[in-house]
Amino acid sequence: MISRDDLQALRIPLIAFAATVVVSITLIVLSGSFLDRADRAKAQREAQLREARGRIQNAGEEKEMIGRYLAGYQQLARAGFVGEEQRINWLDSLRLANEEARIFGVEYDIGAQKPYAYAAEFNPGQLALQESVMNLRLRLLHEEDLPRFFNALARYGGGLFTIDQCSLRREARAETDRSLNVQPNLNAECNVRWLTVKPQAAAEKKG
Amino acid sequence: MREKLLVCVSALQASAAYWRAGKIARLEQFAHDEEGLAAFRAFLAPHANVPVLLMVDAVEEDYRFETLPHSFGSERAQMVSRKLKQHYRNTPYIGAWLQGRETGKRRDDRYLFSALTNPDIVVDWLRVIGALELPLAAVYLLPMVSAGLLDKLQIKTSNLLIAAQHTGGLRLTFFRDRQFRLSRLTRGDGSKTTDPVRLFAGEISNTRLYLHALRTATLDEHLTVLLLDRNDELAEVAETIIQDNPALDCVRVGRQELASRLGMDPQLLASTPDALYLQLLGLKTPAGNLAPATATLGFRHYRARRAIYAACAGIGALAAVWSLANAWQAFGVKSQTELIAQQIAAQEQQYKTITKQFPPTPTSGENLKRAVEIARAVRENARDPMPMMVLVSQALQATPNVFVREFAWRYAVGEIEKGGGDIAPPPQPAGPGAPPPNRKQSAYIGGEIRPFRGDYRAAIDTINGFADRLRADPAVAEVRLTKMPLNISPKAVLSGNTMDSRTDTSAAEFEVVIVFKPTV
Repeated sequence: MISRDDLQALRIPLIAFAATVVVSITLIVLSGSFLDRADRAKAQREAQLREARGRIQNAGEEKEMIGRYLAGYQQLARAGFVGEEQRINWLDSLRLANEEARIFGVEYDIGAQKPYAYAAEFNPGQLALQESVMNLRLRLLHEEDLPRFFNALARYGGGLFTIDQCSLRREARAETDRSLNVQPNLNAECNVRWLTVKPQAAAEKKG
Repeated sequence: MREKLLVCVSALQASAAYWRAGKIARLEQFAHDEEGLAAFRAFLAPHANVPVLLMVDAVEEDYRFETLPHSFGSERAQMVSRKLKQHYRNTPYIGAWLQGRETGKRRDDRYLFSALTNPDIVVDWLRVIGALELPLAAVYLLPMVSAGLLDKLQIKTSNLLIAAQHTGGLRLTFFRDRQFRLSRLTRGDGSKTTDPVRLFAGEISNTRLYLHALRTATLDEHLTVLLLDRNDELAEVAETIIQDNPALDCVRVGRQELASRLGMDPQLLASTPDALYLQLLGLKTPAGNLAPATATLGFRHYRARRAIYAACAGIGALAAVWSLANAWQAFGVKSQTELIAQQIAAQEQQYKTITKQFPPTPTSGENLKRAVEIARAVRENARDPMPMMVLVSQALQATPNVFVREFAWRYAVGEIEKGGGDIAPPPQPAGPGAPPPNRKQSAYIGGEIRPFRGDYRAAIDTINGFADRLRADPAVAEVRLTKMPLNISPKAVLSGNTMDSRTDTSAAEFEVVIVFKPTV
């Protein structure tokens, strides 16, 4: 049995032992973490090397890909699908489509841009596929005005959009303006998603 | 222990040796008086924290061989302790050692009990050691230490009597089957006797008689007498013993041989009779420590301190080796990483050279391809309400009395249920690796039958016909009539007034949900 006197006599060696254990563990842990960091850095560099080698191996394929898709990409950029949103173009397109379809005005609300809800269907890879939901309220003379309006909107090229939902309701006669010679018969409300893509910052090609 | 202080105490004096690196480095003798004790103190003082092994060469010693019932553990310890107290009441320097088992049926344990019966011999010397706070490791009786000679001199005889002149007199120690059995020290200094032959012969004879009396050895038994002749002066004694006693075998070991066998300086051996035993004590720690636990407390602390420091050194060394190994490995890994970085730089340079021939592009070829393919897929997957409107128009042509008040269409994962403000919920994010959920087109039609005139049967038939025409289209997956002019289900309550129908103010309203197949 170890008595209090024994502990008192062995106080300094025991303190030295505790200090040795602490210092030893600290040394081992520190050197271990140093090694871990070095291993991780090496693994990262190896991945970069594989990527760099892969890029060189695929350079021919890349060149062929650029030749094939650059024109289409540039055309999409001009159309407003690639790059930043072109909201002014959208509004111009709305105005022109309204005139061409001869409908009784278009009210719109455009929501904030956000990631496209159905992006997973298109496997965008390193591209960010974004959407802005636009709510349109139209007054129509006839239901066929609706396809005419959307055809015109697509043609005037404000970008790429998809129609999510539409509803048509007959206009209540009491609400219509009797001073007009031609009166709207239908109220339409549609939700449209304007889509844009752009390379994610980290994936953008340097230089 | 690399360093030791070895002390041999006899009645009139003490010898002290400083042991270092496997041999006696310094040896001095001190008289048992004030001056001698002061010199002893001066001898020990420079060796702080060096353990002290002390042996006593005096006539005040006692050895007893006894048998005790065979036992273990604490029971054995208690029995031995009782026996020691019974034999030796007046001295703390006592001990017992198990020598073996009896050959009889009971197989009792054989013990050697021994004690320094006059502790006053060592008190003054131990006081000096205690004052210097030197750790006392053990206290032995000299004959127990001399057992080491048997190995050093490679003596295998069964009955051996070692005879040697000591400072306190002639010491005769008997070993049987290489185990210590008895020792006696004759009083007086034999070196002053004019006739050593008579002295040795007489004492050997007395010892044989004593052994015979104790029934330890008979007079007829063959006995080997070993004369330790450190001064090379007992040749005549050996010859005389052999001539006078044919039953005796006498072996004399001279100074050179003793010094050679024990690995010590012959001059040191000649300086004092104690030198031989101090050397033995330094070479091997014998069994037979008589010191009580309280006296060796300092040594136990000393040993614990050394063990702890050794553990510290071991742990520190292990940690250092481990850390160095880690650092060495990390250094190697870093060197490899730098090499890889150089390879990356070279590859990137090569890639830049290759891509200089490429047309300028705003992004990678992969991104160009994906953007174009996404645009194409979006266009291909886009749906509009026109096909649904055409379907409804065609169905209405055959039923002109169906009047549509509201039409709503949706392309989403979930089906439409109502027109107006019914908003499609956003799609739930699919789990990793799961295919995205399929979207499908669905439509809602709210209408009525005109004219109605209260004819529910005709109105319901018309609505069912309208629904059947919708169902007939191959693109349609499902048509649900979600509301009818009259609920004729037996589970519902039905109430009305037959007069209402005549006034033509009531309406035959209905609601239909149409769902296209997902592929449409």
